[in-house]
Amino acid sequence: MNEKLRDLIVTDFLAIFLGLTVSGFLLLFLDKNPIEAFGILFSSIVQDKYTFAEIFVKATPLIFTALAFAFTFKANLFNIGAQGQFYIGSLIAVSSSLFLGGKIPGGILLVIVFILTIVGGAIWGSFIGYAKAKFNANEFLVSMMSTYVALAIMNYLLRTVLIETKQEYPQTNPIDTSVWLPTFIPGTRLHIGFIIAVIVAIGVWILLYKTSLGYRIRVVGMNSEAARLAGISSKRLYIIAFMISGALAAMAGFTEVNGVQHMLLQGFNPDIGPAGLGIAILANANPIGIIFAAILFGALKVGGTIMGQMSGIPSSIIELMQGFVMIFVIISYFVRLKLDVSREKRKLRKVVEE
Amino acid sequence: MINLLARALMMTTPLLYGSIAEVYAERTGMMVTAIEGIFLMGAWGGFVGAYLSGSLFLGIIVAIIVGMLTAAVYAWITVYLKQHQVVTGVAINILVLGICSFFMRVIFGVPIIPLTVEPLSKIAIPILSKLPVIGPVFFNQNILTYLVYLIVPISYYILYRTSIGLVIRSTGENPEAVDVAGVTVEKIRFIVVLIAGAMGGIAGAFYSIGYLGMFTTNIIGGRGWIAFAICFLGNWNPIGAFIGALVFGLTEAVGIYMQSSGGGFFPNELFIALPYILTIVLTVTRKSFNVPAKLGIPYKKEN
Repeated sequence: MNEKLRDLIVTDFLAIFLGLTVSGFLLLFLDKNPIEAFGILFSSIVQDKYTFAEIFVKATPLIFTALAFAFTFKANLFNIGAQGQFYIGSLIAVSSSLFLGGKIPGGILLVIVFILTIVGGAIWGSFIGYAKAKFNANEFLVSMMSTYVALAIMNYLLRTVLIETKQEYPQTNPIDTSVWLPTFIPGTRLHIGFIIAVIVAIGVWILLYKTSLGYRIRVVGMNSEAARLAGISSKRLYIIAFMISGALAAMAGFTEVNGVQHMLLQGFNPDIGPAGLGIAILANANPIGIIFAAILFGALKVGGTIMGQMSGIPSSIIELMQGFVMIFVIISYFVRLKLDVSREKRKLRKVVEE
Repeated sequence: MINLLARALMMTTPLLYGSIAEVYAERTGMMVTAIEGIFLMGAWGGFVGAYLSGSLFLGIIVAIIVGMLTAAVYAWITVYLKQHQVVTGVAINILVLGICSFFMRVIFGVPIIPLTVEPLSKIAIPILSKLPVIGPVFFNQNILTYLVYLIVPISYYILYRTSIGLVIRSTGENPEAVDVAGVTVEKIRFIVVLIAGAMGGIAGAFYSIGYLGMFTTNIIGGRGWIAFAICFLGNWNPIGAFIGALVFGLTEAVGIYMQSSGGGFFPNELFIALPYILTIVLTVTRKSFNVPAKLGIPYKKEN
C-alpha cells in the first residue's frame, strides 16, 4: 500500500478514536459511564435493520454538502454556504413537488424536480462565484452571509405562500406520495437518494480527476499564477466551481424533502452544512473518501440520538463528538506532514550514505 | 428617534469589540475565523459566571477567560501546527456549540423555566447625559459601551503610534523582516489572537448579560461573522471598524424597531436578513482593499 494512503488511514482512525474518547470523558461530568454509553451507541446502531439503514439515510445529505465544500476547495475556494444552498434546494424541491405533484406521472416528475433543484442551486451558487470573479469579493464571507439570507427567505416563504392549508405551523403541506423517492430496503426509510449520492460522488471524482475541466480547477487551486500563465481563465472557473458546488448542496435539499421529510418545515436540518465541511476535511476532500466519512458522521448522529433517548445524555453529545473528531483530524494533517518529511529525510540520507 | 439611536449604539458595542479584535489579529496575518465560536463561548461563560456568582463583573471575567481559551486552541492549531485558518475556525465553531449546550445541561440540568440574570444596568453620566439628543444616545449606556469608546482611540494609537503597533503591522506584511529583527513571529501571532479572544469573549458576554439577561445557543446567530466582515469592510483600521460597526448597529436597531412595530409593508424576515445582505453588498462593492499581505498564510521559516 502507498505510504501516504496508509498514513492517511492510520491517522484518521486515530483522530476519530481520540475525538470519541475525549467526548466520552466529558460524560463523566454527567455521572454517566462513558464505556457503557459508547456500548449503547455501538450496539444500538446494529440492533435492527431500521436503525442500521438510518445511518445511510443520515449520511445521504452529508455526502452532498461535503462534496459541495470539497469541490470548491480543490480550486482553493471556500464555499461555507452549503447550508444556504441546501435551503434553496429544499425550497425548490418542495414547491415544485407541491405544485406539480399528481399532475405529472411520479417518475418523470421526480426527474423534473431533481433538475429544477440542481438549476436553482447552481444559480444561487453562481452568484457567489460571480462576486468572486467580477468584484474579487471574499467568497468565504459572501457564501457565509448568503446562508443567513437563504434562511430568511425560507422562513418568509414558509410563513406566507408555502404555509400548510391549516395555517397552524410554519410548514408546508405534505407532498404527493407519487413524488416520494422510493425506498429500496423494505421496512426502512432508506431511499434511492443514497444511491444518487454515491453515484454523484463517483461522478464528482471523475469530473475532478479525469476531465480537462477538473484538471483546470485543480491547477487553479494549486497555483493560480501558474494557471494564468498556462492560459487558464481562473475567473470563469470560479463561477463554474461555485455553480457546481451550489448544485451539489441543493441536491441534499431534494433528497431530504422528497426522500425523508416529504414536506418542508422550519428549523429543517440546521447543521448539515458545517458537518459536511468536517466530512470533507476528514476525507482529505476526496469524493470517494467522503462517502465513508459521511457514513461515519451518520452513524454518530443515529447512535448519539439513541444514546440520548436511552440514557438521558443530551443530544449535544453529537456536536461534541463531531467537533472533537474534526479538531483531531485537523491536527492529524500536521502529523502526516511530519511523517512525510521525516520519511523523505530518511530516503535522502540513505541515498547520501550509498 | 433618540431611543432608536441609543439602541443602535448598544448593538454597535459588541460588534466593535469583535471587529477591533479581528483588526489586531488580521494585522498580524491571522484571520480569527473562530470568532463566531469565541462570541458564543463568551456569551455562555458570561451567563454561567454571572448566574452562579451573582456578580455580572465575575461573569465578564469568566467570559474573557473562556474566550481566551477558545482562541488559544485556535491559535495553537493555526500558528504552531500551521493548519488552515478557515477550516480550523469552522471546526472550533461546531465544537463550541457542542460544549456550550452540553455544559449548560451539566451545570443546570433541565430547568423548567428559562434561567435569567438581571442584565448590566445603564449608567447615566452626570451632566453629559443631560445634553439634548447626544446625552441620552451616548451617555446613558452600560459600562461595556463606555469602555469601547476608549478602545477605539487607544487601538488606533497602539497600532499606528507605538513600536508594538509597528511590530503587529509588520508581522502581517513582512514576517521575515520581523523575524530577522529578533521577534518571534509565532509568538506575536499567538499573543494577539489571545487578546482577540479576550475581546471576543467580552463581545459575547454583551449579548447574554449585557442586554438579554439569558443564554441560548443561537444567541450569537452569525454576529461573530458580521464582526469579521466589519474588519474587512473597515479596511483593517480601528476607525474604519468603528464606522462599520455603527452602520451595522444601526441596521440591527432599525430591524428590531421594524419587527416590533409590525414592519408595515415589508416582512420581518427582510429586517432579520438586512445585516447579512448589507455585508454582501458592501463586500461586493468595496473597491480598494488594504489587505495585509500575509493574511491567512502560516509563517514558515526558511531552513
